[in-house]
Amino acid sequence: MPPVTRRTALATAAAAVATAALAAPPTVAAPAAGAETGPPVPPPERPLFGAQVWRLPQNGLTVAFVESRRAPVVAQYLFYAVGSGEDPAGRSGVAHFLEHMMFKGSRNVPNGAFSQIVAREGGNDNAFTSRDVTAYYQHVEASRLPLVMEMEADRVAGALLGAEEFEAERQVVLEERRTRTDSNPRARFREAFDAALWGPQHWRGRPIIGWEEEIRAITLDDLRGFYARWYAPENAILVVAGDVREAELRRLVERHYGAVPAREAPRRVRGPAPATAREPRLIRRDPGVREAAYARAWMAPTLTAGETGHAYALEVLAHLLGGGQGSRLHKALVEAGLAVAAAAGYDGDALGVGAFSLYATPRREVAPERLESAADDVVKRLLDEGPSEAEVARSIRQLTAGALFALDSLGAAPHMIGGALAIGLPIEAVEFWPARLRAVTPAQVAEAARAVLAAAPNTVGWLLPADAPAGSVRG
Amino acid sequence: MSDAANTAHRLPIRAVEAPGGLTAWLVEDHSVPVVSLAWAWEGGASLDPAERSGASAMAAALLTEGAGDLRAAEFADALRDSAIGLGFEAQRDGFEGAFRALSTALPEAVRLARLAMTAPRLDADAVERVRARAVAGVRQALETPRGQAGRAFWSAAYPDHPVGRPVGGTPESLAAMPVEAIREAIARQLRRGGLLVAAAGDITPEDLAGLLPALFDGLPPAAPPPPPPLPPFRAFGRKVVEIDSPQSTAIFGQPGLGVDDPDWEAAQVVLRVLAGGGFTSRLMQAVRVQRGLTYGIGAGLDVMFRRAQVIGSVATENGRVAETLAVTQEEWARMAAEGPTAEEVDEAVAYLTGSLPLQFTDTRRIAGTLLAMRRNRRPIDWLDGRTARLRALTRDRAATVAARLLKPEALSVVVAGRPVGL
Repeated sequence: MPPVTRRTALATAAAAVATAALAAPPTVAAPAAGAETGPPVPPPERPLFGAQVWRLPQNGLTVAFVESRRAPVVAQYLFYAVGSGEDPAGRSGVAHFLEHMMFKGSRNVPNGAFSQIVAREGGNDNAFTSRDVTAYYQHVEASRLPLVMEMEADRVAGALLGAEEFEAERQVVLEERRTRTDSNPRARFREAFDAALWGPQHWRGRPIIGWEEEIRAITLDDLRGFYARWYAPENAILVVAGDVREAELRRLVERHYGAVPAREAPRRVRGPAPATAREPRLIRRDPGVREAAYARAWMAPTLTAGETGHAYALEVLAHLLGGGQGSRLHKALVEAGLAVAAAAGYDGDALGVGAFSLYATPRREVAPERLESAADDVVKRLLDEGPSEAEVARSIRQLTAGALFALDSLGAAPHMIGGALAIGLPIEAVEFWPARLRAVTPAQVAEAARAVLAAAPNTVGWLLPADAPAGSVRG
Repeated sequence: MSDAANTAHRLPIRAVEAPGGLTAWLVEDHSVPVVSLAWAWEGGASLDPAERSGASAMAAALLTEGAGDLRAAEFADALRDSAIGLGFEAQRDGFEGAFRALSTALPEAVRLARLAMTAPRLDADAVERVRARAVAGVRQALETPRGQAGRAFWSAAYPDHPVGRPVGGTPESLAAMPVEAIREAIARQLRRGGLLVAAAGDITPEDLAGLLPALFDGLPPAAPPPPPPLPPFRAFGRKVVEIDSPQSTAIFGQPGLGVDDPDWEAAQVVLRVLAGGGFTSRLMQAVRVQRGLTYGIGAGLDVMFRRAQVIGSVATENGRVAETLAVTQEEWARMAAEGPTAEEVDEAVAYLTGSLPLQFTDTRRIAGTLLAMRRNRRPIDWLDGRTARLRALTRDRAATVAARLLKPEALSVVVAGRPVGL
């Protein structure tokens, strides 16, 4: 599954943002204190979820709890602070492959039984792997919480990772790769584009699912070693949301997870950004593609790496540059008749260096270089003149206006809280994110834009139909 | 088998009647300051004339591209400043509108939704933008085996009905679409008659009753014209669409049953066992878990005009398509011949009854569920009796329904890719 961040969790809160061919997660924006219009926003001192967070002294497991009595249901999410970013060199895909194998049984739960038992109890379960986390979750009727806790705790304590299921599961992973990537020209391009910017063996440039030949090379020992190294209670965050009382939850957590033996887990260290883009320009012609696509991405700081102070400003910048109708790219490319869609993307809630991206789908009659130069002009003008106060206020207003929609979903709180705590952010980064966004000033946006768009290594990419006129783009 | 706690939960659905006779189904819940509303008419793309395929879809997109005095960007700002998620969608057999808003923004949501439906601007520049986006969208949809297989499947199964055409139109029909055709699509579809409404969240019945006229009274009273009757699903055997890809996607299907069929829920149980969600189905076990042939395989009831077809899909490496289809067909035949085991029926019933509360955790989903019930002409207490109906199902009844429903020899299949050995 794709990574989920604060913004993807909330993406649906905003009105539809124009979808680009290579859509980045749509950005959602935020209102400034004292914005002229817009609905009342919660006072900044009020936390979004009111989560309780504690640690088990026995083994260091972090627990976060959000109570919601809306329906008699509960969600259990176990996040491990490890993702494809920790895949060993030459073995991309290990974190994701291991996620698959975690359903193949643990000491007291036979192979395949986990999902079967959850389904029999009326629940849903699954898992996802991103660069930063691997997470396992179940949504169940509230009285089934002890059952899924018992099974999940058993899986932390001792997954079987048996040899009998390993090869068939490798075929499943390869089919998953073919479905997600190999049979989709846009996905193939996205993968090649990341590799062009970061390098195909940089942790940021490898696909989460892994390169095909490396998936083929993964051994069971690779998976077992990864599990032993990273799947320790002290490297995990349990997030429970739903219809359970805190005292009862504390008792259940003690009972089921308190008994899991402590193990040491290493602190993860993400490698630095490369000094330059591996390939500053990627032109890919693909006979399978019918509409061209443009992408440009700069290496960028996040809330955990580089000039972390730029992160919220970059989020505002992405909205005012490419957050749909009314954004600068939309005006200059879409309204001007050069592009079908245009967008900007940035995710600051990530571990290690990140990326700030632009995307566009040119209209068919528009030559690629014309679109590219119009996009360059948008960036240049922003750098020359900076953003206006009004557009920063508008972006902040729109990014934060829908913050409360996170309460209208069982999964949003676990996704946001688990994702943040797993990369070392404090719970306040989730609870008070609208206030943090609202604190962004136009000067900060201008400064962040200069730091990234004017200075950082970047790659321009074009995906072109095979029959696009030769020489229409510099190769 | 588990059955204790989850039966206690009932979703309190009530019918709210507004002055003027319009009714809405409501699940009231004030725990979160959010309201979702969803509404629908029969029609959608099935009302598009053949040469105007895509008119309803373009109309749906254009309703939120400027209305009243607000041009497109101003309309979008008005929505987003208040975090109102408003959208319209043309479907094969219907046309839906929906919004979700914070309670505090509800009046603004109603104002903008009404404006969108009663005074869409259809400015020339907006029409051109939407047209360009639509053309790119339908072309991109054909870049993958999945998109190609879907297109070929429906046109083969319904060659003479609009549901056999892509909802979004074709590059040709979109390029030739005059704004009058879009205006006509809006005029024939957006009516006070034939309208079905559902709501969920932080709103009282009284407030909802007051809101409905404000939202819909500006629409003309007569219902949309009836769509052309849906012919039977035409079985077509096996078709291959050649597209360069290392993996093929297969879409398979056969005729199903009406939503009012007394065996509807038995059919859901049978299909859950054979091909339902998650890892537990026979197809998932046989095709993915045991043989590693795919990342996922599933099938279920796909409803149009209150009739369901049984539709499934799977993707696998070109060289293993033949094996994958053979295994799928074998499982289909085995279920038709033997039916599910008693244990399988118990497990499927336990899932289908136990998972009901999970459907009710967000307002959009609740409103969507209520709207689907209304479109299927379910009684308002349909969900209340569902658990008891499911539990009353015996293994033998399920086997009878499996034999009646599943037609392995009539399974029509489209494969898109470069399949080997078909």
